[in-house]
Amino acid sequence: MAGLDLIYFLRVLVFPGFVFIILIALFYDWVCRKIGARMQNRIGPNVAGPAGILQPLADIIKLFAKERLVPNDVRAILFIIAPILSFTILIFTTMFLPIDGNTAVTAFGFEGDLILVLVIVTLANIFLFLSGWASTNAYSKIGASRIIMQFVAYDIPLFLVALTPAFLVQSLSISKIASNQSIPFIFLLPWSFILFVILFQSELEKDPFDIPHAETEIVGGFETEYSGTGLAFLKLSKDVQLFLGSALIVELFLGGPYGPVFIGPAFFWYTIWFLLKVLFIVLLGEYISKIVARFRIDQVLSISWKLIMPLTIISVIATLVVKIWILPFIGLGGVLG
Amino acid sequence: MSDVNDRILSAVKENIPQDKFSIEVLKPDSLAFRTSSDMVIPTIKAILTTSDDATLSTISSVDLTDRFELLYHLRTLGTIATVRCEIPSADPRITSITPFIPGANFAEREAADFLGIVFEKHPDPSRLIVPDAWPKDLYPLRKSAEMPTPDTVFEDITVQETSANTNGTIRMKIVIGPQHPALLEPERFTVDVDGETVTKVVPRIGYCHRGVEKAAESRDYMKDVYMVERICGICNSCHSTTFCQAVETILETDVPARGRFIRTIVLELNRIQSHLLLIGHAGHEIGYDTFFQYVWRDREIVMDLIERVTGNRVISSILAIGGVRRDIKESSIPTIKDGLSKLRTRSEFYRNMLDEDLTLKMRTENVGVLSRKDAVAMCAVGPVARASGIETDVRLEAPYAAYDEVPFKIITRDEGDSWARIRVRADELLNSIEMIEYAIDNLPDGDIRVRTPRRVPEAEAINRVEAPRGELFYYVKGNGTQFPERVKIRTPTLTNLQSVPRLTEGGNVADFPIAFASIDPCFSCTDR
Repeated sequence: MAGLDLIYFLRVLVFPGFVFIILIALFYDWVCRKIGARMQNRIGPNVAGPAGILQPLADIIKLFAKERLVPNDVRAILFIIAPILSFTILIFTTMFLPIDGNTAVTAFGFEGDLILVLVIVTLANIFLFLSGWASTNAYSKIGASRIIMQFVAYDIPLFLVALTPAFLVQSLSISKIASNQSIPFIFLLPWSFILFVILFQSELEKDPFDIPHAETEIVGGFETEYSGTGLAFLKLSKDVQLFLGSALIVELFLGGPYGPVFIGPAFFWYTIWFLLKVLFIVLLGEYISKIVARFRIDQVLSISWKLIMPLTIISVIATLVVKIWILPFIGLGGVLG
Repeated sequence: MSDVNDRILSAVKENIPQDKFSIEVLKPDSLAFRTSSDMVIPTIKAILTTSDDATLSTISSVDLTDRFELLYHLRTLGTIATVRCEIPSADPRITSITPFIPGANFAEREAADFLGIVFEKHPDPSRLIVPDAWPKDLYPLRKSAEMPTPDTVFEDITVQETSANTNGTIRMKIVIGPQHPALLEPERFTVDVDGETVTKVVPRIGYCHRGVEKAAESRDYMKDVYMVERICGICNSCHSTTFCQAVETILETDVPARGRFIRTIVLELNRIQSHLLLIGHAGHEIGYDTFFQYVWRDREIVMDLIERVTGNRVISSILAIGGVRRDIKESSIPTIKDGLSKLRTRSEFYRNMLDEDLTLKMRTENVGVLSRKDAVAMCAVGPVARASGIETDVRLEAPYAAYDEVPFKIITRDEGDSWARIRVRADELLNSIEMIEYAIDNLPDGDIRVRTPRRVPEAEAINRVEAPRGELFYYVKGNGTQFPERVKIRTPTLTNLQSVPRLTEGGNVADFPIAFASIDPCFSCTDR
């Protein structure tokens, strides 16, 4: 029993759990910053570590070393714990994703964990909202109310699109969806994939949806009043959320961690495949965010309800058509689920 | 110009009894009507009838020790007509013209701040430029004013601004500035917000006030050229050109043709860098940082050209009274042309982006619309006025430097929204490149400068230059010494800024930065 406990312990805390997730999230943060900077004809981080790869880590360490400032008049308890809770919840959620072929705790996944993951991501957003609402700053309040408005606009379509791969596999388990993709669903359901990438762009508050912290309008948005540890947790939450979002897209549309295994243990290759696929999604998201201007909140609402929502419903119907008629017709019906 | 002056004269003669005013000529060639303080408003109204676009340019105020003189410079039919009156300095009172020219608001408040003139019936007679803590009866531009030293203790005017969100609604006051990411320079806008809708905008300027007008009176004309040039880093050569031209008008100096051409080249290079700065900055305001970075990268081309031509990258310091200080070398002409052709390719690319890019258009079209009527009422100038369909451009109306020889076309649009204001500038960029190419090809030979006396006679002159942001207005009065008696500077942003509440009120708070940035605000200019 002791040996098993130790393995669980290491898997949750080190690989593919806590430490690994944080380090890899910081790595993707660096990728975003560096690639974004190069796209904008800038240098990007270049001081800490080779090509500045340690810059996100250095930022976080610096923030943790700073004084913890709680302004007067804020709802102090909420102000302090909201970022921590948001970070914790997002880290917890990553445990349900098969990263090296398995979830962090082996066979931790269960039928319906896709729904759980989506709900928890939603909850993390609520905590981000609360962190803004807890400060008395006008910019924070507007930023916080924008989070909620934007969230209401994209959350329903996000759920619906996330369910399209589940229809194909006839399962709500992330592991099953990922492992049943002999043909990655990006090729079978390209429309769902595109919608999901756009919606996650909104979930991650990246351009053109970075409305809740539009700096030229409302300074820092919900995080205006934060400094030190609180800000560090908010930044970490954003990084983990970026990883989680991209990872979820990989699990649902790119066949998860599974890929060809060459020499060596399978979990090593699965991890490599997984990270490369996530990297592709991260770069795609960064590319989108750098070639557009920021929308206005009312434009997001109208795009979401008038364009994305109907498209989502159509994509669900199209998915059902593919599942019921087209796949059996071309002889792939038995492959999936 | 004389037939225009005749029309103004006949309009005044029709409405005002002959014995109530006398006619003077304000150098270089504009009419001035001297009248009594109670006849100012009828005279102004008579001049306003000459054209639909007639509006106020600015109000100059001069301290003549026992009395103050007010000069209402009105812009009509492409020229300036001035109404001047004197009021006793013991009790300086005059009726405000803001009720029927809303754009006179800032000009009157400025005169109230600087000279202590009371404008009766002014809708908002609060302080505009001097700080709230400034002593109550100290008016800096009065000749008798004793300026405070660094040791002077000002009264404590700390105001606890209470936020209005205690009653549970999300109606609140956002203070944009003095420090805010959307502003490049410090200035304060108090924005009342109901949810996401802007209900009221109150600008408060003066955060970069350095007292340039006062300082100009204690420096000689040579030094003033360099000081006014430093009012603003972006439109620096426009300031020095206007000042030099005003002084040259008083001295009746003719600048040699080569000097005038070089001035034109420098001014147009200046316009290009300023417009590129704005176009990039507009991208930043709507969250399009990639656009911003690329435009600013290509702006470096023109910065290098400015350095090549003037010797300096930012503050050109090439202007001098009587001409320019530095010739364009034959050897640098290929470099300039090369740079200009690169610049043209890039500018065309950005202009096409403004036409085609979906998200850019989504954020700028129908945002911050300024109707033609409002633009006239708020005394808008430059690209702001031109984007609302008003054909006003000093280069065309009163050609200075070499603008009467270099061909150029006036660019107007009718939309009046933020997109149009940016798009007008993109077209002007390309136009400016053509003008520089023409000026370089047709650069006359000869001197670049004539010598001028250091003492300037007791006379006055106005001068206007089309700065990148619009009409820049100088009123210079000499007193026979090497020091000016009065230098009045009206910068384009000061008057364009008055349109900001009209642009933003009723719109979305997210549109405030772009609607506001599209007037291309320059606060160093505004505050002087």
